[in-house]
Amino acid sequence: MSDFLNYLILGITRGSMYALIALGYTLVYGVLQLINFAHSEVFMSGAFGSYLVVHAIVGNGQGVSGLGAVFVIIAGLLSGAITGAAVAFLLERVAYRPLRRRGAPKLAFLISAIGASFFLAQLFGKMFNRLGQNQFPTYFDANKVLFTIAGAPVRLLQVIIIVAALLLMFFLDRLVSGTKLGRSIRATAEDAPTAALMGVDIDRTISRTFIIGGALAGAAGFLFGTAFVFTNTMGFIPGIKAFAAAVLGGIGNIRGAMIGGLLLGIAENLIPTAPWVSTAWIGIQWTDVVAFVILILILVFRPTGILGERLGRAA
Amino acid sequence: MNRRVSLPPWVGRLLACLGGSVVLAMMVGKQQGSKDDYGLAFREAVLNPRIFYFLLVGVLVFLGITYQDVVRRYAGRPGVRPLLAGVLILLASYFLMKWYDPLGDGKLATFGAAVTSTPAVAPVARIFFGWLWWVGLLVTAAATAAAIVWRLRWLAWASAAVSVLVGAIAVAAHSLAVSFAGGIDHSFGAQTALIGNLVLAGAGVVAAMSRVETARTREFVERVMAFRPGLPLVAMGVVLGVLALVAATWFDPGGKNLTLVDTQHLFAGSALSGVASAYLAWLGYAVFAVVVVLAATAVWTAQKTLGYVAAGGAVVAILVTLATLHDISATATKAGYPGSAGEWQNLGTGGWVLCIALFSAGAGGLIAARRAPVIAPEPALARGSGALGRLHQVGTSTTLLSLTLFGVGLALFYPPTATAFWQQALVTDIGVYVLLAIGLNVVIGWAGLLDLGYIAFYALGSYTTAYFTGSLPVQPPIHLSPLWAIPVAIAVCLIAGVVLGGPTLRLRGDYLAIVTLGFGEIIRIIAVNNPGDFTNGPRGVARAVPHPVIDLGFIRFEWGGSQLQYWYLLLVLLALVFLLFWRLEGSRLGRAWAAVREDEVAAQATGVNTTRVKLLAFAIGASTSGLAGVFFASQVGYFNPQNFILNNSILVVAFVVFGGMGSLTGAIAGAAVLTWLPDFLRDQVPSEDRIMWIGAVLIVMMIFRPAGLIPARRRKAELTGLAGHDPSVDQDLRAVPAGEGV
Repeated sequence: MSDFLNYLILGITRGSMYALIALGYTLVYGVLQLINFAHSEVFMSGAFGSYLVVHAIVGNGQGVSGLGAVFVIIAGLLSGAITGAAVAFLLERVAYRPLRRRGAPKLAFLISAIGASFFLAQLFGKMFNRLGQNQFPTYFDANKVLFTIAGAPVRLLQVIIIVAALLLMFFLDRLVSGTKLGRSIRATAEDAPTAALMGVDIDRTISRTFIIGGALAGAAGFLFGTAFVFTNTMGFIPGIKAFAAAVLGGIGNIRGAMIGGLLLGIAENLIPTAPWVSTAWIGIQWTDVVAFVILILILVFRPTGILGERLGRAA
Repeated sequence: MNRRVSLPPWVGRLLACLGGSVVLAMMVGKQQGSKDDYGLAFREAVLNPRIFYFLLVGVLVFLGITYQDVVRRYAGRPGVRPLLAGVLILLASYFLMKWYDPLGDGKLATFGAAVTSTPAVAPVARIFFGWLWWVGLLVTAAATAAAIVWRLRWLAWASAAVSVLVGAIAVAAHSLAVSFAGGIDHSFGAQTALIGNLVLAGAGVVAAMSRVETARTREFVERVMAFRPGLPLVAMGVVLGVLALVAATWFDPGGKNLTLVDTQHLFAGSALSGVASAYLAWLGYAVFAVVVVLAATAVWTAQKTLGYVAAGGAVVAILVTLATLHDISATATKAGYPGSAGEWQNLGTGGWVLCIALFSAGAGGLIAARRAPVIAPEPALARGSGALGRLHQVGTSTTLLSLTLFGVGLALFYPPTATAFWQQALVTDIGVYVLLAIGLNVVIGWAGLLDLGYIAFYALGSYTTAYFTGSLPVQPPIHLSPLWAIPVAIAVCLIAGVVLGGPTLRLRGDYLAIVTLGFGEIIRIIAVNNPGDFTNGPRGVARAVPHPVIDLGFIRFEWGGSQLQYWYLLLVLLALVFLLFWRLEGSRLGRAWAAVREDEVAAQATGVNTTRVKLLAFAIGASTSGLAGVFFASQVGYFNPQNFILNNSILVVAFVVFGGMGSLTGAIAGAAVLTWLPDFLRDQVPSEDRIMWIGAVLIVMMIFRPAGLIPARRRKAELTGLAGHDPSVDQDLRAVPAGEGV
């Protein structure tokens, strides 16, 4: 039982990071009907950007007090979000807007996105350390057990990740359903030409959608980098899984992305690493395969996902 | 949202250009961050004085965009494009090419410094390497530019003459310096400089001769090529052939560099067969002359039969040449000549270049035969409606056909002269990816399905081969030779393609991309995780996959002696696949693909079974990939899951897109160029950076030339046909990328 809970908590932790990334896919898909293939690299850039800031503040991590650590974490989240937002903004400007202006077919967008993804991953690799298992400095005891649920320990870092992700998702939900920008995003997603006739500046809305999605992914990059290691190719696997999560929840649907992310994180942790089913089970080296198989099964049997795929209606 | 800060538009543009140049500065160079100091790479890239060069480029681009009307007015003038090309080639000769092999990096700067610091070298060389190269480039480029801008005919002629002179001096100075320094030198720096200078001279001549306001390069080229179809090929053949017969090395045991005449002296009185000794004495010159005269006459008089006769004569001449080459090397080995290393060894470039020349001349004759009666349409019609005239030639561009045929000649006879490194690169990097790109072109280019897991089928083909040749831990029921594994692997990939495609092809295009990507990763992870001890895990196959063997009892041939054997096997496979797909493109199925790609609903409404058609495209693409996998497995022997990572899938997509989606020649050219370039630039660009550059190329390509290097013929025909002869419509349509209905 405690094993089960252990993996459940791990799954929720991962899942909340997937959800943050998936939101970016879903937002962009909502307004552009386009898979932003380079979104995983936005996520990666957030890890590097926040690392530079955190490293500048705490050095190698000695002598940071409790309150200081909170401050550093907030600074890391913010700097990750800002880096992600900046990269996403530039991405839209350089790789998508020129194509949109000319009404290029979807395949052209996809290829441009793939090019951008490769370019960003390798440019960061060139600028920073290409192969290294980079780690954030340890400025707080990430593995400190805060409390236990039925024998399963809940660690400080997991709480930080889950709380930060939930807060960000809450803000996003408010933003999209409550503000003028959110309304124009939903209007664009619903019907871009009509929204333009109603006075919504489509270009600006799309650009801001990218910025919001990028900020969330950048923050997720910081959390992911703090929890594990970060490299210039770290974006690919979480990016694909976050995409799977977005599809699972119903792509274009914001709450769907949150639910899908959590579900996928839990599923990929519980299904392959489950000694609580039987000892001769498949094992963690199949985690990625599980995620991909789930993705393919959803696409084949329920391509609209759990909550259906309308950004305009569902949020 | 109501507060709008409105800067003048040029501010944003300037910032964008400067930002772009900073990014470029980060992309170029060998710097790399380290774990201890993340700022290092950034400082190296951005705070070094060299950033100013990049910023200068950014400012120039900014000025070019801001004053694009003015720029365009002048850039359209005749001669501008050759001028730019010449300057670029010359710069490449300075920065990229080697000038002298034995010397360190061998670039012009290094070699020039060495030459100028040696007083004993001939003064011409010292002057050239000292300052003439730069001064010549600056003077001729500036003079040509001035001549174009102010339309000074005399200046254009003068700068053309100076360019030719500088080019000649470059070659002379290089050979003087090399003969002084000694050593074996195969560098191309001087030749590149000569070509660059000749192109510059061409710019001057064009500027001087042209009487029109704007350049019509394409029309001009087409007109030249259509004047006598095949003539450029024959001319090329004459030039190459004369070079081969007079100057090139034919036989070179122990670095002796013997020309044809020297070879004849060497073999005088040896046990050389009659044909070969006759060839060395007179037959070689004779067959070359006969073929060239036949081809030239056929081309000039547009005689169908004569053209075919010339082509046939070229084939015979090539066969005789090959027999002679074989005889030379075999006889020398048998006689124990010092330095000779066996059959087909020690041959210089001469024989192979002569083969290329003969092939080229024969191809010219063939083109003349195929295109016989189209000699210059009536002048009134030609001048009156250029667009209409072009409409008739759509799809039958003589230029493209000539280039393709010449490319075939190069593919056949160039590799034997290449270094071992390039032979290896040709087979493992270039050839296999060309095959993959042709296969993926069916899926992406013709059926409009984005397949991001293409390498998975390649992996399936490779592992199938490994299984049936007994190289995996699990032994097969029957052992097969790799050649017999081809049908099995194709069948396996077909089935896999149908199984994967069946349920997923009904999905939207972008979902299909993700599913195929996931499939590719699943296959790779399965290979790594090694279920049932089938794939032997990340270490790769357990025993080397054997080389293919042809054993017909009386004749037995085993591959593996050299890369060249694999190259020719690959050429045969490529030719078969190419022929098959070429016929397929225009078939009922090919047209159904085009219909599905352009508008699936409309295609369905007209009775196309869209799911079946898409499934066929997917499966055909998959089986081509499997075929490539068989070849790969038996060629490398050992391979592991690392060979089938996602990057490779995306690289193949990049090749197809770069070459031109839906165009067979485009796919080949795209794969060849993009795989050749990193090997070619391996001294300039760190190999880890090639993915970065390819990514940048993809973005730029999608923005500026979405139809690719060689756009698909069908699309071009559709667009030009629609455009009629209204140039403005034509312009608009050209801006629209090739429409794929994903």
